[in-house]
Amino acid sequence: MISLVLIESILQAAIAGLLIGSVYGLMCVGLGLIFGLMRVINFAQGEFLMLGMYVTFFFCTTLGLSGSLGPVVGSLVSGVVMFGLGMLIHKTLLVKSTGIRVVGTEGEGHYPQLILTLGISLVVANGALILFGNVPRTVRTPFSSTAWELAIGNDFMLFFNKARVLALLVSILVAIAVYLFVQRTRLGKSLRAAADNAAAATYMGIDVERAHRISFGLGAAVTAVAGGLIASYYPFQPYIGLDFVVIMYAGVVLGGLGSMIGAFWGGLTIGLIQQMSTLFLPLQLQNAMIFVVFLLIILFRPQGLFGKNVERV
Amino acid sequence: MKSDQPTSQVKTIVLLGLVYLLLAYLIDDKYYQLILTVVPIWAMMGIAWNVFSGYSGLVSFGHAAFFGIGAYTVALAMIYWNLSPWLGIPLGTLAGVVAGVLVGYPTFRLRGVYFSLAMLAYPLTLLYVFEWLGYQEVTIPMKREDGPLYMQFASQYAYIVVGILFLAIAIYLASRIHGSRFGLSLTAIKQNEAAAEAAGIDAARWKLKAIMVSAAIAAAAGGYYAVVLIVVTPPSVFGMLASAQAMIMALFGGVATLWGPVLGALILIPLSEILHAELGNHIHGIHGVIFGLAIIAMILYAPEGIFPRIRDAINKRRGLVTVADDSRRTVNVPPVDESQSRPAVSQEVALKVNHLSRSFGGLKAVSDVSFEVYTGEVLGIIGPNGAGKTTLFNLLNGFISANEGTVQFMGKELVGLKPNQVCRQGVGRTFQVVRPFPRLSVLQNVVVGAFVSQPDNDELAHVQAREALARVGMLEHEKVLAGSLNSLELRLMELARVLAGRPKLILMDETLAGLGAEEVETMLAVIRRLANEGQTIVIIEHTMQAMVRLADRFVVLDHGQVLAVGKPLEVTKDPAVIEAYLGKKWMEHAKH
Amino acid sequence: MLSIEHLSASYGGLKALSDVSVRVGEGQFVAIVGPNGAGKTTLFKTISGTVTPASGKIMWMGQDLASIPAARRPHLGIAHVPEGRQVFKELTVFENLEMGAQTEKGLADWDKNLDQMYSLFPILSSRKNQFAGTLSGGEQQMVAIARGMMSSPKLIMLDEPSMGLAPKITDMIFERIEEIHTHSNVAILLVEQRVAEALSSCDHGYVLQTGRIALEGAPDVLMEDPHVKEIYLGM
Repeated sequence: MISLVLIESILQAAIAGLLIGSVYGLMCVGLGLIFGLMRVINFAQGEFLMLGMYVTFFFCTTLGLSGSLGPVVGSLVSGVVMFGLGMLIHKTLLVKSTGIRVVGTEGEGHYPQLILTLGISLVVANGALILFGNVPRTVRTPFSSTAWELAIGNDFMLFFNKARVLALLVSILVAIAVYLFVQRTRLGKSLRAAADNAAAATYMGIDVERAHRISFGLGAAVTAVAGGLIASYYPFQPYIGLDFVVIMYAGVVLGGLGSMIGAFWGGLTIGLIQQMSTLFLPLQLQNAMIFVVFLLIILFRPQGLFGKNVERV
Repeated sequence: MKSDQPTSQVKTIVLLGLVYLLLAYLIDDKYYQLILTVVPIWAMMGIAWNVFSGYSGLVSFGHAAFFGIGAYTVALAMIYWNLSPWLGIPLGTLAGVVAGVLVGYPTFRLRGVYFSLAMLAYPLTLLYVFEWLGYQEVTIPMKREDGPLYMQFASQYAYIVVGILFLAIAIYLASRIHGSRFGLSLTAIKQNEAAAEAAGIDAARWKLKAIMVSAAIAAAAGGYYAVVLIVVTPPSVFGMLASAQAMIMALFGGVATLWGPVLGALILIPLSEILHAELGNHIHGIHGVIFGLAIIAMILYAPEGIFPRIRDAINKRRGLVTVADDSRRTVNVPPVDESQSRPAVSQEVALKVNHLSRSFGGLKAVSDVSFEVYTGEVLGIIGPNGAGKTTLFNLLNGFISANEGTVQFMGKELVGLKPNQVCRQGVGRTFQVVRPFPRLSVLQNVVVGAFVSQPDNDELAHVQAREALARVGMLEHEKVLAGSLNSLELRLMELARVLAGRPKLILMDETLAGLGAEEVETMLAVIRRLANEGQTIVIIEHTMQAMVRLADRFVVLDHGQVLAVGKPLEVTKDPAVIEAYLGKKWMEHAKH
Repeated sequence: MLSIEHLSASYGGLKALSDVSVRVGEGQFVAIVGPNGAGKTTLFKTISGTVTPASGKIMWMGQDLASIPAARRPHLGIAHVPEGRQVFKELTVFENLEMGAQTEKGLADWDKNLDQMYSLFPILSSRKNQFAGTLSGGEQQMVAIARGMMSSPKLIMLDEPSMGLAPKITDMIFERIEEIHTHSNVAILLVEQRVAEALSSCDHGYVLQTGRIALEGAPDVLMEDPHVKEIYLGM
């Protein structure tokens, strides 16, 4: 007989997994956009998340917004800000490194960008440390520590943290919006075309560099929105990007590099795995668990669930 | 290019080490002395990264894994077994090597981006595991008596000396790799793994060797780091910053150079430490910002690192040849005695292709192809674009596997062999796109091809390389840096590389493409001379005027199938062949 | 309309074109043939703007194209159907056509062009929601050509449309190209390896050999010329 307590714990963990996983999914969509549309592995994605959190924080505190919707608006604002910043970073730095064959590395143009984004990540994370200090912050709202309760029969009481539910709703909405943009609008399709075949896109009159710039900005924006949402229930400091970067990559790889839908599902799955593992693993190993899952995916099924492009031997 | 002689390398190492120690002696401040102790550790890490990623081109973001393993081995061995670091560090090094193999084996199957991502995950996983194991803060116990026996010295200066000793060993190891068969093979793999495989280099084996050496040095560095800093925490040894620093030292100083990582460490470590000391209390994180900016600046403005720039400037002053040199050179092909007729083509079959087929999706790229190549002949594979010629070569070489059919070479079955094994059987191949090692000399580029037939003897390999260069007329240019060669010279060098392996059969892939009229004549003269010497050659070419003068027989492919086989005169009169090139309507028109 | 004067260009470090001069008049169908490696694709790349010529001029409607970036040129009326088709594999057939219609005129003529392309290539209509990467070679070629036509170009450049296609399909493709020529005023610049197919429908022909124009003239004259055979077969 499985104890009712155990079942309740499992359900609660599953709920937590879905709630958290949806935000992970959104954050992975951001990274998925950058990789899917530009084939750039961006190390600084965690820092975009972190900046999203700080912008949301400062937005809410300076405007004195303490209502529950504060973080939602804040995260959307941070999305806009990061869109601009992402495009700026692309225009000033990334463009210059495309096509450079770093003599010491496999010359595909991937590596210079990889290393460049690593540098950007270091500068941004440590720059934030200098500017904001390492005091952990959160955006506290009435929703942060209250929960809706759901009673099932006489046996189970399941809690749905309000802030996280709100985050789930917003994540799904934003993810759908981005999906529709990329799939249905002319601009979105031209971004996909530019990613699919840059030469042919140029022959169609599409400015491929501009397409990449917009894609980068969009990817930064989406991840920043996810960051703002996380800020409403999770404390953060400048190095938090590192914690989430591997989650993002694990989600994107699990879903399949090159697929946006896959990225969302991948992030969701990672969230579920993480929360379900709290049932039987101690805290530190939960994170190690994600890395192990990540490694297993890369080694045994690199194309993930939905993926197309795989660089295999 | 510093001399390759071991004794002069040792001398340089000893000299520079002594200079460093002298300067360190003059500095009294304990804080600066600590910095000077840490510099060699990070130089070692840079060298470790360089040995693997710098030469092979597989960017590792996870060297912290080995660093941390070394550090924890030393610390824990002291705590649990009272094992002195003098033994602990070698033990840690061994653990590092084992880790290197365990990491390398599964991860090498991955390419590019996936490889880097996987490497990223290893140290971070270890970080969390060690935290969970309870090793958040491990302190090496103090030994009041017998301190030196446990690598604990009263004077900070002693630590510097030991550090320099370790670094000297690491540099020496790296120098044995740099410029040697090891380093050249890795460089070949980085430049063009396919071509390297075709030249007989077993990429998998070399990568594994490289990561073992690299992990060993990184683990040793980590072990000494534990000794110097006394406290080991997971983030400090397994964290991203440790991996990043290893990479930055090498990238900043100069990838794939011997002294680059040392230079990088010499500049960056004191810089960041001093900034941290001066400003660190007011500005936390200045460390990371400096490193980040260094990476960005380096990638944008000096992707090769500082050391190559300095070396180029020095060489220019000395008047030595640099990569940018484009002085006029002439290629002197040993003349062909035209009066001597070609030795008659033998009847012995060197290569027998039977019913070879390969499809991609629904498209039959090569369909039921059969033909023979006789020893000593020049066989031309011709056909319109898209006929499947290059696919055929890739099948013969082992780059792609056949769906059906067999290929016998001198009695041995080639289908199913890997490219480096095919090469070892005596089949050489040139490639259309030649990717040389730009900063290495022509001779060094060519000697890579000789390794396959001289597995042990480096000297003989060099002799064979020189012979090959002489056969194509490039011997007098052996010291020229390959980056400054023009297309004809590159092609000839590529051909020499194949010849250096003493192949029994050469597959030449569009050797004449894009050459001007005069250059084509030179190339033809070289190939004809080889043919006269009895070399069996199979050549794909589009320039028909050249081919009809060169080939003994043609095999005509169209849409993946053999259309005709025979002497040039017969084949070019064959209506089916004319139709394939000029179109059906041509024949119809001609009939009227 | 298009006037290429004494063009020389290198590609991949090799001299691909030397002193090439070609003219395409309004509504004209010009074919350039030549064996592989003759420089045909490089010629198209210089016209599209992805390769910068070393010397010479490319004049389009009296304007020197040198200062115009590659992504702008389609908007001037030049459509390029690249070698190997290069359809957007992960977009549907319909979306590929949408991508072709990015020019002002293309957007204005969208409905008209779509109807025309659907009647010329019925398969585009029946497969319009299929991913272009899943189509056969011949079908992809039709998508590529239609995509080019959707921009309402004044000149459409076709780079080796027969490559990798079976003979029957090649015939069909050339029939359709001829139809485009008869039913519209779009000028066509065709580059091909297969001589007869190309020359049989064109108004004027050039033969390119190792980067130079070897022969030029009316198609029936060229078809009779034994030099053409020599260029291709060496004797």
